[in-house]
Amino acid sequence: MENRSTLVRNYNFMLRGSQTLSSNYLIKQLPKATVFLNKRLQVVHASDSWVDYFHFSNDIVLGQNISELFGEISKDWKTVMNNCLKGKPSNVGVERFMDHENKEKWFEWSNIPWYDENENIIGIIIQTDDITTRLQNEIKLEKLEVLLREKSEIAKIGSWEYDILKDEISWSDMTKAIHEVPMNYVPTIEKGIDFYKQGYSRNTISMAVNKAMENGTSWNEKLQIITAKGNEKWVIAAGKPIFKDERLIGLIGTLQDVNDQVLSQTKTKENEHLLKTLIDHLPLNVFIKDKESRKVLVNKAECDYLGVKGPEEVLGKTDYDFYDEETANTTREDDLHVMNSMTPILGEERGSIKKNGDAITFLTSKIPLIGDDGIAYGLVGISMDISNLKQKEEELRDLINVTSLQNKKLVNFAHIVSHNLRSHTANFSMLLDFLIHEKDEEEKQNIIGMLIDASDNLLETLENLNEVVAISTNTDLEKKPINLNEKLKTVQQNLAAFLLNNNAKIVNSISDDVFVKVVPAYIESILMNFITNGVKYKDPERDPTITLSASSNNGYTIVSIADNGMGIDLKKYGDKLFGMYKTFHDKKDSRGIGLYITKNQIEAMNGKVMACSEVGKGTTFNIYFNEKD
Amino acid sequence: MKKINSIYIVDDDPITVFGIRKMLDSIAVCENISAHGNGKLALDDIKKSLNSDGQVPEIIFLDINMPIMDGWQFLEEFISLPLEKRVRINIVTSSIDPFDVNNWNLYKSRTDHIITFNNKPIKRNHLIEITKAA
Repeated sequence: MENRSTLVRNYNFMLRGSQTLSSNYLIKQLPKATVFLNKRLQVVHASDSWVDYFHFSNDIVLGQNISELFGEISKDWKTVMNNCLKGKPSNVGVERFMDHENKEKWFEWSNIPWYDENENIIGIIIQTDDITTRLQNEIKLEKLEVLLREKSEIAKIGSWEYDILKDEISWSDMTKAIHEVPMNYVPTIEKGIDFYKQGYSRNTISMAVNKAMENGTSWNEKLQIITAKGNEKWVIAAGKPIFKDERLIGLIGTLQDVNDQVLSQTKTKENEHLLKTLIDHLPLNVFIKDKESRKVLVNKAECDYLGVKGPEEVLGKTDYDFYDEETANTTREDDLHVMNSMTPILGEERGSIKKNGDAITFLTSKIPLIGDDGIAYGLVGISMDISNLKQKEEELRDLINVTSLQNKKLVNFAHIVSHNLRSHTANFSMLLDFLIHEKDEEEKQNIIGMLIDASDNLLETLENLNEVVAISTNTDLEKKPINLNEKLKTVQQNLAAFLLNNNAKIVNSISDDVFVKVVPAYIESILMNFITNGVKYKDPERDPTITLSASSNNGYTIVSIADNGMGIDLKKYGDKLFGMYKTFHDKKDSRGIGLYITKNQIEAMNGKVMACSEVGKGTTFNIYFNEKD
Repeated sequence: MKKINSIYIVDDDPITVFGIRKMLDSIAVCENISAHGNGKLALDDIKKSLNSDGQVPEIIFLDINMPIMDGWQFLEEFISLPLEKRVRINIVTSSIDPFDVNNWNLYKSRTDHIITFNNKPIKRNHLIEITKAA
């Protein structure tokens, strides 16, 4: 400013001294942008630098009013110029204008009055300085400062600076806020270190500061401080030495409050640990699968269940690696259903077969994992092996079946007994009643004869019933493997005369190595009964042929005895075929007891018997001998 | 007592047949009593006479447990026969199986014929009671 006034005074002097064309020329060459205005604010002289700066044209400038040149000028400047004309001291101001490229530019102006030789004010001398760059830098700096402050507030990062020479430390406002000290607090480096929690934190920071001062190293540590208000806080303390001319002159650093993050991290870790402990020790198989049904998490129970040592043997694999294909197909279908429909499967029973052939039943639940985009990205599975339960349940059901079957048989038997005994006693009672009132001697003899018949019938019935009872009660008869063909030979020999008389033929396709596990006494009776039946109920049109064959299926040896006899309408008589005292043919010697006893014997050996028949063609009995128990 | 034209005894037990016939003879209510060993034989006879003189039994004594065709199977076919007159069917059985009693009620509700259920042995007085034309 001092320089500038001197310069202007010099111009004035020069101009006053010689108001010639040469002075005009002198002004033209002034290095600083300068313009001379007359009292009407019209340009009288202008330096080339001024004209260039504003990109005016030399011809237009001279004689032009300053306001017209700039289009418009600020009120402030106008006032200053008017004051200047009145001899009032000049002022400095800033003015904005748009240059020829329409760019914003800023210039600083200074005005002084223009005197003639008689010290009369004849105009104004104005000098301008381009301050656009300076102004822009100032704005930038201001912005940066604001930004830094904002950042430090948001990230809770404070800063500090330590001057070794003065042994002075200064804390930023945020650093003070983190320490919870008042804004007028005056820290020292020792007090700063004392804020750190005794033990690891304080030791670490002390050592870091010492090392920095001695070796010029920097530090960055996560430590705990105890604030002025006694609160424990996690902070990230960082610092580094500053050198000037290779000499350590101080330290600067930052302090970031990371308490919330550390606490939430710790909490998350605790939760994770809790969850993992829980999942691992649940007595249920827990797994997480991704979209492709690959397992991405398995717990201990699942590993044990799959027979692997650790999760690393399972992760990334699918059910196709552990189960047979059909099982894996089913589980994959379930997975897809759960993920596509986004509805869980809860507690459903599924059977599966492992690669080693073990069949397992389990209760499974699958819950879709739904992402932020509303699409399932996997599923959580929980399953429980209920094979043992299932087996127990089946055993129980079998037991119930056996019991209810036996109960049914018992009731049925009770009715048979009651019916058969009642019919005989009824006959006795009736015949005796006749006998008492009968006068005719011949008729008396007749009635007595019938009484004897009734008595014989009763005895026979009792014998039959006894036979049935013996089979049903003798539950622990020992089963032995018996060669079927040897037994057949014996039966055939016993029936030789009967077969010969009926012209019967036996066709046996059973191979000599077929054994059946049976009660020896029963097998003979069973074979005898079926063969006799087949011959007895022969078709009158043809000689009887009995065809025997054997096969094996599902733990049973199945012996088929087929005849070409008259057959039986199973639709009509099917449910009575094996009933007691049921006969279906008008044959003198059919007692209706044979099949009943045979069936009881087969069932006593845990077997079963089925029949198929066609009237006029023949009947086939399939006898299932249980080979397991 | 009103004379009965024809009585059928359908039973495979000769002693029962003898007994019923003897008691019927003693009350001399019918000249024409015939016995049939099972349901099929009786049904065949009924069908045969339907085709010739139309003479069907007025009373049938029916056993349940018989070979070939039992009492129930007989009833099943009998109630579908195109008969003009009501027939009395007296079931005579030694069965006390509730199944048989249920069956009796079932058939009773399905037909206009009179069906009675009687346990053996049949006393003479009871027989007189159930030997009346329907």
